[in-house]
Amino acid sequence: MISMLGRGLVLAALFFAATGCFAGFWAGSRRNQRAWEWARNSAYGFSASMILANLAMVYALLVRDFSVSYVAEVGSTTTPLWLTIVSLWASLNGSILFWGGILGVYTALTVYSLGDRYREYTPWALHVLMGISIFFAFLVASIANPFAPIANPPLEGPGPNPLLQNHWLMAVHPPMLYLGYVGMSVPFSLICAALLAGRLEAGWMVPVRRWMLVPWMFLSIGIVLGGWWSYAVLGWGGAWAWDPVENASFHPWLTGTAFIHSAMVLQRKGKLRDWTLVLGMSTFLLTLLGTFMTRSGVFNSVHSFTQSDIGPVFLAFIAIVFVYSIVLLALRSHVLDEEARLTDARLGHRGSSLASVLSRDTAILLQNAAFGAFTFMVLLGTVYPLLAEALQDRRISVGEPYFDRFALPLGLMLVFLMGIGPSLPWGRSAPETAMKRLVPSLAVGTLFAVVALVTGYNKPMTVLALFLVGFALWGNLFEFIEPVTQRMRARKEGPGVAAIKVWGKARRRFGGHIAHYGVLCAVFGLAMSKGYRHEQELNLNTGEVAQFLDYEITFAGARDDSETHRISSVARFEVAGLGAFEPKVNTYTSGGRMAGQPIFTPAVHSTPTYDLYFSILQISQDKTNVIVRLIYEPYQVWVWFAAPIIALGTLIALLPPRSSRASSVKPAPVGEGSRS
Amino acid sequence: MKVKWPILIVGLGGTAALIALLATGFSANINTAVTDVITGKQAPAFELVDLQGRTWSVEELEGKPVFINFWSTWCGPCKMEHPMLLQAAKAYPDVQFLGIIYNDAAAAVDVQLRRPPYNRLMSELESAAIEYPNLSDPDGRTALRYGVVGVPESFFVDRTGLVTYKQVGPLNADTAKRELARIRKQ
Repeated sequence: MISMLGRGLVLAALFFAATGCFAGFWAGSRRNQRAWEWARNSAYGFSASMILANLAMVYALLVRDFSVSYVAEVGSTTTPLWLTIVSLWASLNGSILFWGGILGVYTALTVYSLGDRYREYTPWALHVLMGISIFFAFLVASIANPFAPIANPPLEGPGPNPLLQNHWLMAVHPPMLYLGYVGMSVPFSLICAALLAGRLEAGWMVPVRRWMLVPWMFLSIGIVLGGWWSYAVLGWGGAWAWDPVENASFHPWLTGTAFIHSAMVLQRKGKLRDWTLVLGMSTFLLTLLGTFMTRSGVFNSVHSFTQSDIGPVFLAFIAIVFVYSIVLLALRSHVLDEEARLTDARLGHRGSSLASVLSRDTAILLQNAAFGAFTFMVLLGTVYPLLAEALQDRRISVGEPYFDRFALPLGLMLVFLMGIGPSLPWGRSAPETAMKRLVPSLAVGTLFAVVALVTGYNKPMTVLALFLVGFALWGNLFEFIEPVTQRMRARKEGPGVAAIKVWGKARRRFGGHIAHYGVLCAVFGLAMSKGYRHEQELNLNTGEVAQFLDYEITFAGARDDSETHRISSVARFEVAGLGAFEPKVNTYTSGGRMAGQPIFTPAVHSTPTYDLYFSILQISQDKTNVIVRLIYEPYQVWVWFAAPIIALGTLIALLPPRSSRASSVKPAPVGEGSRS
Repeated sequence: MKVKWPILIVGLGGTAALIALLATGFSANINTAVTDVITGKQAPAFELVDLQGRTWSVEELEGKPVFINFWSTWCGPCKMEHPMLLQAAKAYPDVQFLGIIYNDAAAAVDVQLRRPPYNRLMSELESAAIEYPNLSDPDGRTALRYGVVGVPESFFVDRTGLVTYKQVGPLNADTAKRELARIRKQ
C-alpha cells in the first residue's frame, strides 16, 4: 500500500520536474506568461510530491511496514523512535529520497521568495533547477527505488547501521550536510539563469548571494558537527583526518566561501565577474563530486558507509553538468561582457583596474587566490591515489602530512587576510590611513602572542596562530564598534540605541563579521588543541591508580549494561576532583552486516579551557583489566563553538536590510556599484 | 556566435580527464588490489584455543594439509560459505580444517557470543565445531599475522607448511575442490 503510494508520488515528482524544466525553457526563451505559470506550478508540484514521498517513507518506517524494501533494509522493531525516524538517511536509497525531499523544500522556497520579481531570470532558473530535479527523481524512481514492494515481507528487519545508532549527532550531522549540498543547486541555477538570459545585474546578484549563504551556512554547521561526531565516537580524539569523504564536504565550502567574498566585489565594482560565476558553479559541481565520493565506493575511506551501484549513473550526471556549465560559460559570458560595456558607457565608467594595493578589494582578491589554491591542493590530494593507481598501478594513500603542509600556511594566510580586509576601505587608501587602521590590530595580535608565551604556550606555530587570531579579531571588532561610537558622538545617543540602529542598517556586513568570529574560534581551538595535545595509553587492573599529567586516575571496575538494541561494556574510572568517567564499548544487536561490531564510545569531560578524553582500547573477558587511551586537549570546545557563531552571523546577514525590498524591485545594473 | 575558447578547451579537457580518472576507480576492487604477500610463504605460527578448550598450534599440524578459514558471527558471506565448508571437511578427512573466529576486541567476542541474540548463534557455532575446530583469536593477532583485511578469508596450507592459495571473500565449491586437491598432493 505505502509502496504504491510512495512510488506514485515519486513518479509524479518526476513528471512535474520534466514539465517544469520544459516550461521554464519555453517561458525563458519565448517570454510566455502561461508557460511561466506552468513552470512555477510544476515546481510546486515537484516539491509537494517529493516532500509527501518522504513523509510516506517516514510513516512506513514508523509503522514498520516491512513490505517496503527500504524498511526491510534498515528497519527493526527494537529500534527506538528517534532512530526509526533518522533511519530515513541510514542507507543509500533512503538518503537519495531524503535528498529529493530537501531539493523539494529548496525549490518551493526559491520559487516563493523570488515571486514575480526578476522575471527575466526566474524561468531560466526554474528550467535548470527542474533539470537537476529530473535526475534525482529519476534515481529515486529507478535504480535507487526505496519503495520497491516485497512480496513476502520479513517479520523483523536488521535495523540501521550501528554507527548511526551510536550517537545523537547522527540525527543532525547528515541532514545539515544534505541541506548544504542540495542547497548549492539553487545558486547554481540562478547563475545559469543569468548566463541563459544573457544579462547580469547587480540586483540579480542579491538573490544569488543570499541563496549561496543559506546552503553555505548548513554546510559549515555540517562540517563542524561531522568533526564533533568523529571526536565523540571514533575514539582517536581528533576531529579531522583529511579523509576523502571529509574533503568532499570541504571542497564546496572553500569555493562557496570564496564566492561569498568575490560576489561582494562583483556587486560593488562589477569586477571579477567570470571568476565569481565560475566559483559559484564550481561549488555545485564540487558538491556533486562530493556525493559521488561518498556514494560510489571508488574512494577508499573509513566512512564509505554506503557503497552501491549508482556510481556510474552518477558519474554520467556529473559529466553532463560539467559539460553543460562549461559550454554555457564559454558561449554566453561574452553576452555579459557586452552588457557590462554598455552599462559602463552609459554611466561614464572607464574599464578601471581593481584598485590600489591597500584596499579591501585587493585583500579579497588575495583571499580568493588562497581559497582557489586551497581547493586545488585538497582536491589533488583526494584524487591523487586514483591517479597513482591509474598511471602507475600503485596503491597509495595521501595522509595528513601532505595536507598539513599547505593547509597550515594557507590557513594562516587566510586568517591574516581576514584581519586586513575589514580594516581597509574599498577602492584605495593612503598608506598612512591604512597603517593607522592596522596598528591597533597588530597591537592586539602582539598582546595575544605575549599572553600565549607568558602562559607557557610557546611553540612557534601556536604563537603565530594566536597572533593572527588577535590581529583578525580586532580588525573585525573595530568595524563593529567604530560606527557605533561615531553615531553616539554625532547623534548624542546611548551605546545601546546607537548599536541597534547601526547594526540594524548594515546587517549583511555585521553578519559577516560575526561569521568571521566563528572561524576565529575554530582557528584558536585548533591551534591550541593540536599544538598541546597529550596522549597516553594505560594498562590498568581493577582498583589500580595511575597518574596522567596532573590527574590521578583510578580504574574502579567494568560492567555490562543491556538495552533492547545494544549491549555495552562500561569501564568506570574515577578522577580525583572531577568525578567518574564511563567510556563504553557498544555492541548493537541490529544493523545488518555491521551488527555485532564493537563501537568504542569515549567519555569526554569538556570545559572551556580543556577536554579530558577517555577511550577504551580493550577490556579483558573477566572485566578486571582495561587498556585505556587518555587524551588531554586544551580549548577543544572552541572548535565546536564555531558552528553556532557562523550560523548566527549568516542568519543576521540573511535578514533583509530595511531598504532592500525597494531596491531589489528595480535592480541596479552591475556597473552602478563601483562608485567608490 | 562568439565563443570563449580558452574556457571551452580548458574546461572540457579538464572535465574529460577528471571523469576518466574517476571512472578508473570502478575497476579497482579494494579487496583484490591489496597485494598478496603470504602466498608461497610459510604459514605464520599461532597458538590458539578452540571453543572446547583445546590448544592448537601450527607446529603440531606439520605434515598434514591444512585449511584455515577466518570468519565471524556477524558476517553474512561467512554463513553462506559455511555449509560448503562443512561438506568439504567431511569429504576430505585427511585435511585439517580450522575456523578462526575473527574480531578486533576480546570484549566484543565475549559480549557477542554470550548475550542474546548471539547465544542462539553460539549453539549454531558449537554444532559447527563438532565438524571441525573453531579457534578463538581474541585480540586478532593471528588475523593480523595472516594479513586478514576482512572476513571471510581462507588459506590453503600444504604438507610442508607453505601457503599455496589465499581466498579473499567467500569461497566457491570449484575453487575449494581445486585448491584442496593441490594441498593434498604429496
